[in-house]
Amino acid sequence: MKLRRPGLDRPDRTGLRQLLRVARLSAFIFLTASIQATAHNYFPAYDYQQQAAPITGVVMSAAGEPVSAVSVTVKGSSTGTSTDVTGNFSLNAPAGATLVFSSVGFLEQEFKTTGPGPIKITLQPSNNTMDEVVVIGYGVANKRDLTGSIVKIEGKQVADKPNTNPVTSLAGKVSGLSVIPNATPGKAPDIRIRGTVSIGAVTPLYVVDGILQDNIDYINPNDIESIEVLKDPSSLAIFGVRGATGVIAITTKRAKSGQTVVNFNTTYGFKKLVDKIKLVDAAGFEKLFAQERLNNGITDPFDYSGLTANTDWIDEVTRKAQFSASNLSVSSSTQKNKFNFGLGYTLDEGIIKHEKLQRFLLSVSDEVKLNDAFKMGFNLNVSRQNNPYTLNVDAANILDDARKPIPQISPGTKNFFVRDPYGSEFDSIYVDAYSRLEEGLQGSGVVNPLFKVENEWDKTINIEYRTVGSVFAEVNFLKHFNFRSSVYADISNINKRQYFPLYYGYNPRTDVPSLVTQTSKVLEDDETYRKFQQDHVLNYKNDFGDHALTLTGGFTTYYFGYTKRSSVGSQAGDIPIPDDERFWYVTSGFEDQANTSASSGQRENTTVSYLARALYNYKGKYFLNASFRNDASSRIPKVNRNQQFYAIGAAWEISKEGFMDQQHLFDFLKLKASYGKLGNQSAFKSLDNTPLDYPSYPTLVTGNTAAAIFGTNVFNVADAEYIANPDLKWETVTAYEGGVEFAAFGNRLNGEVNYFVKETNDMMTYISRASLGLKDKLVNGGSIRNQGVEVSLNWSQQFSKDWSFNIGGNITFLKNKVLKLSEDIPTGLLIRANQNNGAAESRTTAGHPIASFFGYEVEGIYQDQADIDKSPEYTGGEAYGPGDFKFKDLNGDGVVNKDDRTFIGNPTPDFTYGASAMLSYKMLSLSIDITGVSGNEIFRTWGSLESPFQRVNYAADKLGAWSGPGTSNTIPKLSQGSRVNYNGSTYNIESGSYLRIRNIQLSYGLPTQLLSRAKIKALRVFLNVQNLKTFKNNLGYSPEFTGDATSFGYDFAGGAIPVVGTAGINVTF
Amino acid sequence: MRHIRLNFWLLFAVCALTGMSGCQKFLDRQPLKATLDDLNTGKLEAQVLNMYSQLRTAGGFASLPWIDFHSIRGDDAAKGSDASDGAEVITEFDTYQYSKDDWAPNDYWNSHYTMINTTNNAIATYKEDSIANPGVVIQPATYRNIGEACFFRAYAYFELVKTYGDVPLFNFPLVTPADGLVDRTSSERIYEFIDSNLAVAVALLPLSSEDYGSKYPGRLTRGAANTLWAQTYLFRKQWDKVVELTNEVISSGKYSLLPEFSDLWKDDVGGVGKNSAESIFEAQASVGLGAATNDAVWFGSSWGTCQQVRQNGASNDWNLGWGWNVPTDKLESEWPDDDPRKRKTILYSGEYDGGPEQGGHGDSIPAYTNPDGVNGLAQKYWNKKVYTGNSPAMRAFTGYTRLGDAGWINHRILRYADVILMLAEASNELGDGGTAEANLELIRDRASGGEGEGRSIVPKIAFVDQEQMRQAIKDERRWEFAMEGYRFYDLVRWDDALEELGPLGYTNRARFYPIPQQAINLTASETGQPVLTQNPEW
Repeated sequence: MKLRRPGLDRPDRTGLRQLLRVARLSAFIFLTASIQATAHNYFPAYDYQQQAAPITGVVMSAAGEPVSAVSVTVKGSSTGTSTDVTGNFSLNAPAGATLVFSSVGFLEQEFKTTGPGPIKITLQPSNNTMDEVVVIGYGVANKRDLTGSIVKIEGKQVADKPNTNPVTSLAGKVSGLSVIPNATPGKAPDIRIRGTVSIGAVTPLYVVDGILQDNIDYINPNDIESIEVLKDPSSLAIFGVRGATGVIAITTKRAKSGQTVVNFNTTYGFKKLVDKIKLVDAAGFEKLFAQERLNNGITDPFDYSGLTANTDWIDEVTRKAQFSASNLSVSSSTQKNKFNFGLGYTLDEGIIKHEKLQRFLLSVSDEVKLNDAFKMGFNLNVSRQNNPYTLNVDAANILDDARKPIPQISPGTKNFFVRDPYGSEFDSIYVDAYSRLEEGLQGSGVVNPLFKVENEWDKTINIEYRTVGSVFAEVNFLKHFNFRSSVYADISNINKRQYFPLYYGYNPRTDVPSLVTQTSKVLEDDETYRKFQQDHVLNYKNDFGDHALTLTGGFTTYYFGYTKRSSVGSQAGDIPIPDDERFWYVTSGFEDQANTSASSGQRENTTVSYLARALYNYKGKYFLNASFRNDASSRIPKVNRNQQFYAIGAAWEISKEGFMDQQHLFDFLKLKASYGKLGNQSAFKSLDNTPLDYPSYPTLVTGNTAAAIFGTNVFNVADAEYIANPDLKWETVTAYEGGVEFAAFGNRLNGEVNYFVKETNDMMTYISRASLGLKDKLVNGGSIRNQGVEVSLNWSQQFSKDWSFNIGGNITFLKNKVLKLSEDIPTGLLIRANQNNGAAESRTTAGHPIASFFGYEVEGIYQDQADIDKSPEYTGGEAYGPGDFKFKDLNGDGVVNKDDRTFIGNPTPDFTYGASAMLSYKMLSLSIDITGVSGNEIFRTWGSLESPFQRVNYAADKLGAWSGPGTSNTIPKLSQGSRVNYNGSTYNIESGSYLRIRNIQLSYGLPTQLLSRAKIKALRVFLNVQNLKTFKNNLGYSPEFTGDATSFGYDFAGGAIPVVGTAGINVTF
Repeated sequence: MRHIRLNFWLLFAVCALTGMSGCQKFLDRQPLKATLDDLNTGKLEAQVLNMYSQLRTAGGFASLPWIDFHSIRGDDAAKGSDASDGAEVITEFDTYQYSKDDWAPNDYWNSHYTMINTTNNAIATYKEDSIANPGVVIQPATYRNIGEACFFRAYAYFELVKTYGDVPLFNFPLVTPADGLVDRTSSERIYEFIDSNLAVAVALLPLSSEDYGSKYPGRLTRGAANTLWAQTYLFRKQWDKVVELTNEVISSGKYSLLPEFSDLWKDDVGGVGKNSAESIFEAQASVGLGAATNDAVWFGSSWGTCQQVRQNGASNDWNLGWGWNVPTDKLESEWPDDDPRKRKTILYSGEYDGGPEQGGHGDSIPAYTNPDGVNGLAQKYWNKKVYTGNSPAMRAFTGYTRLGDAGWINHRILRYADVILMLAEASNELGDGGTAEANLELIRDRASGGEGEGRSIVPKIAFVDQEQMRQAIKDERRWEFAMEGYRFYDLVRWDDALEELGPLGYTNRARFYPIPQQAINLTASETGQPVLTQNPEW
C-alpha cells in the first residue's frame, strides 16, 4: 500500500465505496476479492504519466537465434511488449528503467537501460518449467506461485500433428493423462486424468479461453497457444462440481504486442491401416468349416459351387486415406489493439472407404485497450464440419462387419439388366450389383459390408455448424484491483440427412439379382445445442513487504440447452424417393404422407456458482493456495442443490533457503502438498451413461414399447423411466497430493514426482431391483479410490552452439480399486454384459478395480471322454464333450458352474509411460516420441464370443483349434453348437501391454538471413510419421480400446489405429 | 473516472439480476416432457394403460420366457429354432434342469413383479385421490380402472402361483428397499388375494369392451375376469365355482365359438380372428402401414415373431421369425389324422400349407434338412396358429417382407372354448355327465367343421362314465389348445405330469420352478441372510 500515489487516493476511495454499495445492494457478497494476475493485465495501472522514450533492441538465444514472443516489460509498470519473430522489440520506457525479459524455456533476465540506443540481450536457456505462466481457472498464475500440478503443453506441439482433435496429440506427453485415440476422423479420444474416478462421467472438463466445454471440436489446433492439464485438488477445486475428472484448459492465440504477423501453414499426408487382424483365406475357411461340420457329425462336404472368390474383406473396405490441413492466420497488434484472425481447412479421411471429415474454421478476436484502466474485447470461433457418415456408425463397426463374410464371396460388382427400381415396371436399366452372401450360411446378421459402404455411405449429409463467441470487459482500479466480466455463448446445430437408396445385390450361386432394399427412405435429424456462460471475477493483488497475496472472487452461471428433432419420410410405393440430393428431405414431394413421422427430444440444465481463491507466499519461499466454490445445480433436488467444494495447498521452495546455497546439485527444489474436495456432475439413467438431466423428475417412457393398443388405436401410457431419489447429491472426490519439483545440474535436469490419491465418495450408483419388479434408481453409495505416482523427468543439453539434445519421459503408476458400492445393492455388483447374451462381462464391485473382467478360468481342453470322467462335472448349463473347454473348479465343490467364475482381468494399466527425445543441429531437428502401457488386460470378443445366430469367417488362430486328442489344449474345437465354449473365460483375455513409436518428426527451419530477402520472417518444413510401429501382444488391430467407466478395454474387432505420414510447411511473413 | 464507475454499475447489475432475484428461477428446471405428476386427472387411466403395454411387450407375458414356461415345458412343444440357438432353454425347459439364474426365468419373474408393482401403484393413486378429495363423486371410468388393475394383479399372481407355488405377496407400493424384504406367502393366501381382486374386477369391469367407447376393442371385460377366476378354481379343483363362473360367462351372451377353427388365428388385414366373438381376452398388438420403414407405427409384440418359421438355409422368403415353440413328434404321432384341427395347428416342413381352408396362404414350406437347417429348415413342424405371420396381405401392408417380423399377432390369452371345456370338466367332476357331454360336443362339432350329429370325423363322444369322460376332456383340451401354452399346467393339475413328462426328465419337484437367485439375493438383510427363501424342493 505504501506505493500508492497520494493524488489518486480520492477517486480510489470513491470507487471502493461505490463498489461496496453495489455489492451491498445486490446482496452479492465477495468475501474475498482479488486480482487475477495475468502477465498482461496484472501490472498496476497508474504509472503512465511517467516520462517515457522508445527503447529498441533484439533478443537472441545462446545459440545465436532470434527469440520471438519474449515478454519485455518495464519493471514496476504496466508497460510491456514482446519480441517479434526476428527477436526485435520496441517500447517506451523512462530513462534508467529496468527491463525484464522473460520467455518460456529461458531464464528471466533484467537489463537496466542507460539510454535509448539498441540493446542486445542474450537469454540463457532454462529447463525450469517453474517460470511458466499457466492457466489455473478464472485466471492465470506463475506456476512458481502454485502448490498444485499443472502441466503445460505448447500449442506448437499439437499444431503440426495429423490429428483433428488436438487432445489426441497429447498421448504420452503428460503424466497422469490417459489418451486412447479414436480412428474415426473427428471423434474424441477416450481421455481420463488420474484414473477412472466414477462409474458415471470420467472424461475431463475442457476450458477453452474460460468457456467450460465438453468437447473441443471447433478448435483449430493451429490456433492453440497452449494446453494445460490440471490434475490436482488445489488446481481443480475452483471448478467445483466439474472438477473431479480433471481439466484440460486450452488457450488460443492472441496477437503479440507490436507486430503484424501473417502465418500460413499446410500439411499433407497419407494414412494406412497397419496391424490388420488375421483371418483365414478361402482355403482356410474350407478346411476349418469342414472340420467344424465333422465335429457336428456332418460328413458330406459343403457345396461351394459358385463361391470361388478368395476375398480379403478388410482390404475391400479400407483404403489409403488422405490427411490435409491448411491454416492462415493474421495477427496485428498495437499498444491499444490486438487483433487476431484465423482461417483453417482440414480434410481428414478415415481408413474406411468414403469416411471423410471436412472442417472449415474461422476465428477472429480483438482486444481494445480504451485507456490504461479499461480493456474490452471479443472472441469468435465459427466452424462448419462435414462429419463422416453418421457419427454413430464408425470405422469400428465396418471393420467388424468386414471380418465376417466368408472369403469365397466376390467383392466385385456384376452388371445386370434389371427393372429400374426408380422407374415404372416397364423401365429397365443396367446396374452394377454387389454380391449377396451365401444365405443359408450367413443369412443372419452378416451382410456384404460393401452394400453399406458403397451404396449408403456417400448418401449421408451430416453438417455441423458451431459458433462460439465471447465478449469481455476488464477494468483495473485502485491500483491493486481488477474486475473482469465475460459473457460466452456457444450455439451449434447438427443437421443429418440420410438417404436409403434402392439397390440390387445378386445371389452368388445363381447370379440372380434382387433388390436388397425395398423402400426408399430419408431420415432427418436436427440437433441444436445452446450454451451460455457468464463469469464475473474480481481480483486483488498486492505485495506487503515479504508477503505476496492474490485474491480472486467470482460469480458464474451456466446454461445448457438441447433440442433434437428427428423425422422420417419413406416411400414404399411405385414412385420412390429419387437418388438425388435435391430430394433428401423428409418432405420432398415423393414421400408417402401417411408414412411420415417426427419426434423430438429436449433438455436443459443450469448452474449458479460462487468462487473464491487466495494465493499467498512469503518471501517467494513459502506458498499457500486455497480455493472454494459453491455450485447450485438445477439437476439436483432442492434440498441438496448447493454443494461446496474446496482445496488448500502448501509449498516450500527449499532452493531459496540460505542453507541451499552451499550445494550445487539443485538449482530449484520445491515440495508441495494439497488436499481438496472436488465434485463430479455425472447423473445417468443407466450404466451405459445415458445422461440424466432431471434426476428428480423421472419422465415417462415413450415409444413403441410404452403404448397401450386396442385394435389399431394407440394410447400413451404412464410409465416413469426410473425411481426418483429426493436425496440425490453430486458425488465428491476427496483428493490429496504430495510432490516434489526440481531442477538440477545447472537446470539441465528437471523433473517432478507426485503421489496422489483420489477417493470418490457418495458415488452415484445405479441400482436395479428388477427382481422385485422395480425400476432403476440412482443413489449415493459407493467409493472408488485411485492412487498413483507420477514421475516426469527431462534432460536438456546444449553440446555446442549448433548441437543440442533433449530427452524426457514420464511414467504414471496407477491403482484403481472400488472400495464399496451402495448398501442398497445387496448383490454388491454392477455388471456390464457385452456380446452374445452378456458372455463378455465386466464387474464393478468392492475390492476390485473398476470394470474388472469376469469369467471362467480355462484349465485346458478336454482331450477325451476319460479326461471328462476324471474331471469335476460341468453343471453350468451347456452340454460338453471332448474338445470343449475344461473350466477350473475354483471353489472346489466338485462341480463347475457359474459359481466358479472369477475376476480374470483388469482393463486399467498398472503403469503408463511416454518418452520423447529431440536432437537439434542448427535449424534441423529430429524428434521421436514413444508411448506405452503395461499390466492391463484386453477382453477380446471376436473369434470367440460371436452370437450363435451368426456364421462368421474364422480368425487365423483357429487353424490350431482342437481336432482330436492331443491337438490343442488352448483353442477349443470348432462348433457353434458347443455353447459351453462361448462363455467368457481366460481364453478371451489378452495382455494389453504395448509400446508404440507414437511420433517421429524431422523439421528444418530455413536461416532467417536467407528468408529476409524474400520478406519472409520464418519458414519451416517438416516430415512427420505417427504410429509408425506398435509392439503389442494381442490379436486385435490395436492394443487400445475406448469405452466408458464400467466397460472398457473390449476388443470388438475394431479400433484400428492407422499409421499417418505427413509433410508440412509453415511460413511466417 | 466517471465512466469507470458507470461500468461497474452495469456489470454488477448483471450479476445482481441473475445472481439473486433470478437465481431460483434460473435453477428451477423441470423436464420438457411429461412426468407422472403432469398427468393429473389422466394419471390413473394412464397407469392402467401401462399394464396393457406390459402385457404386449414384457418377455414374461409376450415373448420367449412366457412360451418357455407355458408351452415348451410341455410334451407337445419343443424349443424349436435350430440346434445352436438357445440350447440352454432345452436344458431348462425341455429336460427340467431348472435354472436359478438365467435370462428367461429371470425375465419371467421380473415381468410379473413389474406388473404387480404397476397395479399396486395405480390402486394407491386411486386411494390417495379419494382421500385427498373426499366429497368428489367417483367417476365410472375410475371404477373401471380399478377393476382393470385388480384383474391384472390377479392375472400376474395366478401365473406366479402356478409356476412357483408360494411367492412373495406385495399388495402395496414399494417405496423403500426395506419394503421389498418379504418372504414367500402360502399359495392358499395368494389364492385368497386373487379371489379378492377378481371379485372387485367382476364387480367393476363392464360387460363389453364397447362400454369403454368405440376405440377400445379388446379392453378388459367382466367376462375376462370371470373366465380367469374360473381357471383359478379349476386349478384348486373347486368344481362348483368353476361351473358357476363359466355359466356366468356363457349366460352373458357375449361370446360364441367361431364356426371355423382356423378363422380363430386369422390376424392379418381384416383378419376375422382378431378380437373375435370367441375371444375373451387377448394382448393387443398393432403394426401399422409401412411399419418396416417407419418405427413410429410399430406397436407390435414378439409373440408372433418368435414363433414364425425360421429361415436357416431356406430362401429369403422364409425369413419369417425366430422359429421357437414347435410341435413335437409326440404331438404329431398321437393326434389322429382325421381331426381337421391337426393340420390347422401343425405346419409341416416340405409340404403345401393347405391353402386358405386350412389356415394357409397357398405356399409350400421348404424342407427340413437337419437340426442346423443347412440348405433348408431346421424343424419338421411349426406352430400354424401363428402362421398368419406369413400373410402376403399383411406383409405388403406393413412392408415386412423377408424381415422376420410378425409383430401384429395378438396373444390369445382367454378364449371361449376354454370356458366351454372348463364347464365340461367341472360338470363331469361333479357327476353331471350330461352337461359335460353337451359341452364337449360343442367343441368337437366345431372341430369337425360343424358337420353335426352322425359325422365321421371328430365324432361325438357320449358320456359313459366319469373316468371315460375325464379322459375325453383331457384329450380334447390337448388338441383344442395345442401349442397355446395350456398343456404343462393341465398335466400338473391332473397329476399326469410324471407319467407324460417323466420320460423327458420331469420329476415331481419340477411342478414348481425355483425362485430366481437374483430375487433372493435382493432381499439380503443387514445380516447378509436373504429374507426370501427358495422353494424348499430346490
